[in-house]
Amino acid sequence: MLRFLLQRLIVAAAVALTVSVITFVLSHVAIDPAVAVAPDSATDADIAAIRAQYGFDRPLPVQYLGYLGDIVTLDLGTSYLTGEPVAGMIAERVPTTALLAVFSILFALALAIPLGVLAASFPNTMIDRLCLLLAVAGQAIPNFWAGLILILIFGVNLQWLPISGSSSLAHFVLPTIALGTFAMPALMRLTRAGMLDVLASDFVRTHRAMGLAPAAILFRWGLSNALLPVISLTAVQFGFMLGGSIIIESVFAIHGVGYLAWQSFSRADMPVIQAIVLLVSLAYIVLTLAADLINAWMDPRIRSAA
Amino acid sequence: MKFHASLALAALVAASPAMAGPDDNSLTIGLGEELPGFDGYTSTSRDGVVMTRHLFDTLIWRNPETFEYEPLLATEWSRIDDRTYEFKLREGVTFTDGSPFAADDVVGTLTYWSNPENGARSQSSVSWIETVEAVDDMTVRIVSKEPFPAALEFVAGSLPIYPWDYFEEVGAETFNREPVGSGPYKLETAQGGTTTLSINETYYDSPKAASIETLMIRTIPDDATRIAELLGGGIDWTWNVPADQVAQIDSVPGRTGVLGSTMRIAFIGLDAAGRTGEGNPLTDVKVRQAINHAIDKAAIVANLVGGDGEVIDVPCYPMQFGCDVDAAVTYDYDPEKAKALLAEAGFADGLTVSMTSYRDRARAEAVQAYLAAVGITANLEMLQARASFSGWREGQTEVWYGDWGSFSIADAQASLGNFFDGSSNDGFRDEEVMALVAEAAGTVDEEVRKANYAEAIKLITERAYMVPMHTVVMGYAYDSALNFTPNVDEIPRFFTASW
Repeated sequence: MLRFLLQRLIVAAAVALTVSVITFVLSHVAIDPAVAVAPDSATDADIAAIRAQYGFDRPLPVQYLGYLGDIVTLDLGTSYLTGEPVAGMIAERVPTTALLAVFSILFALALAIPLGVLAASFPNTMIDRLCLLLAVAGQAIPNFWAGLILILIFGVNLQWLPISGSSSLAHFVLPTIALGTFAMPALMRLTRAGMLDVLASDFVRTHRAMGLAPAAILFRWGLSNALLPVISLTAVQFGFMLGGSIIIESVFAIHGVGYLAWQSFSRADMPVIQAIVLLVSLAYIVLTLAADLINAWMDPRIRSAA
Repeated sequence: MKFHASLALAALVAASPAMAGPDDNSLTIGLGEELPGFDGYTSTSRDGVVMTRHLFDTLIWRNPETFEYEPLLATEWSRIDDRTYEFKLREGVTFTDGSPFAADDVVGTLTYWSNPENGARSQSSVSWIETVEAVDDMTVRIVSKEPFPAALEFVAGSLPIYPWDYFEEVGAETFNREPVGSGPYKLETAQGGTTTLSINETYYDSPKAASIETLMIRTIPDDATRIAELLGGGIDWTWNVPADQVAQIDSVPGRTGVLGSTMRIAFIGLDAAGRTGEGNPLTDVKVRQAINHAIDKAAIVANLVGGDGEVIDVPCYPMQFGCDVDAAVTYDYDPEKAKALLAEAGFADGLTVSMTSYRDRARAEAVQAYLAAVGITANLEMLQARASFSGWREGQTEVWYGDWGSFSIADAQASLGNFFDGSSNDGFRDEEVMALVAEAAGTVDEEVRKANYAEAIKLITERAYMVPMHTVVMGYAYDSALNFTPNVDEIPRFFTASW
């Protein structure tokens, strides 16, 4: 188990380093940071002054090493735009984004598991098809569009819920639905597939033959076995929630990390972009690692294979 | 993201008017960009400029209705010599922290920010200042390095005055978050995407005195969401509304949509200097003239700009000082002539150019289609504003359909002077034009300036360095109960608004 953990950690560190290089290079190639920092009215002299002030005139590898040095000492730098420390800007917004991600994944699970079980219980029937249709729709509808439609129906026309902002729990209802709907289909299909597998297995047939109640078979033996892969997918989907919140937070003007990312992208606030990309990829790495570990812990076959 | 069907739907249900606004005399404003801070010297985005006008006062201001300079923190001013202006300061003004306003506030603020080491983002607003000195407690003199005709324009628009003792005590970084000024409003709170300003109760009898007591500014980045909030009554005012949605908003009961004229001019810059590479077809004046003849500007304005947008034939805003419309050589829409000119230039079989734009895809595609009709293939790329602009500046774009707001300055120096000065904006590099513009920028003699700009405009249009297109309109939408007048300088003034 220790060796397994160590292997995974080394891979995780390599991925984190790669992500930091790619983010750094892409963000510097995409746009001249000095032009981005300068106001629209800046003259060439203004831009040159900014370039020297921020050290953009140094060679890219030198800038990268400086940046890496800061990251290692846990200094994420200061925003070009606001002049505030990036760490503080992100820390202020993490709770909002985490809240939205947790709500969304819970919402997704609350829909996906019952629908998956239902579909597997009646395979290849109208019910199964209907569940599949929901899954396809959830996956296919772009979440910004779903967000706008929700805003239109519940915010503008019915006026039941606030349209945008994040100042109360009611503000989270629409974005949770928009984001959760997007995570639901994969979880549902995996639940369904797992359930079908388990229900077709020998021990379930034996249980049936022994005359156990169908509900007990379904939940006690079926679901508990089928859920194993769903757990690791949930961890990965949770990572998606953090990434997907860039769009949803912008649509709903939720004051979280995703919204900060959008603002920073649109105005090329490099230190903030780099910090967010790095944090989101770290979150991904930690979540996949956690999923691997949970699986290994629950399923001895995986552990021994590693 | 289009919102057509949804808007129509929303119009069916009578939008309930937002009663919170008039009831407690507050105004909720929806902006698209988060405010980076409140210091006018480092928060130079458009929304930042709007905020600083509400929190701070300048020595003088340009009355948005008459366009005249009028007293604000200074009651009188006069030119002592070519380089020196003297300002008599207003007695009895206090900042919102209670400290009295005096000459040392002006001297401290302007001396600090004109020092390039202190990192004012728009150095051109302050770099002309050589010294600022107090003659006595209520009189200051601003001395420029060279004779500087635009001095008053910057004093009126870009140089807010801070309480110097407070600024020195807390430093620039804290001041940016916790500003204190002497403007019509003061900052209450700024958190979670909402900024609240409340009326300055100790404000002097100023032309900027406000009627609305509380301004709540919310950042809502998505256009469609912002419009939905306006229709639902969550916000009372917003701008940057896409032109095609303004009329639909206006048809909703209780909501007003307007396309306000602005000083911003749209034009198509042509890479006449050949920055994108040797032998670029656009270095040939005939090709550039052909492009001028190929585009039906009137049709684009009528169908795609809308509102008060106007066709322009000059590379400046016609209301600007020195922007002599009669000096321009004009090109009528004549695709046959364009084809003939191209053939003369040796491009009878057509040519291919790179093109970028950002503000409006439909307009850019219309231009692309007009060019295609005379045999010019324009590979159009729609980009973010900054990326598109910096592509032009770095000489990577052959055809750039961009626009320019002249920093809201009513002088051709702010338009011609920024595109024909040999800087990176200048993709034309015409020595003659550059000399004329430079001379005009360095003298305070109005006749010389007028004559130089007129000659420059003649040469620029004759040599077809750009295609002057049209003025840009700004889409505003607000609660119909609000009295609000858009300004051509794209700076909404909520202190003049009322319920």
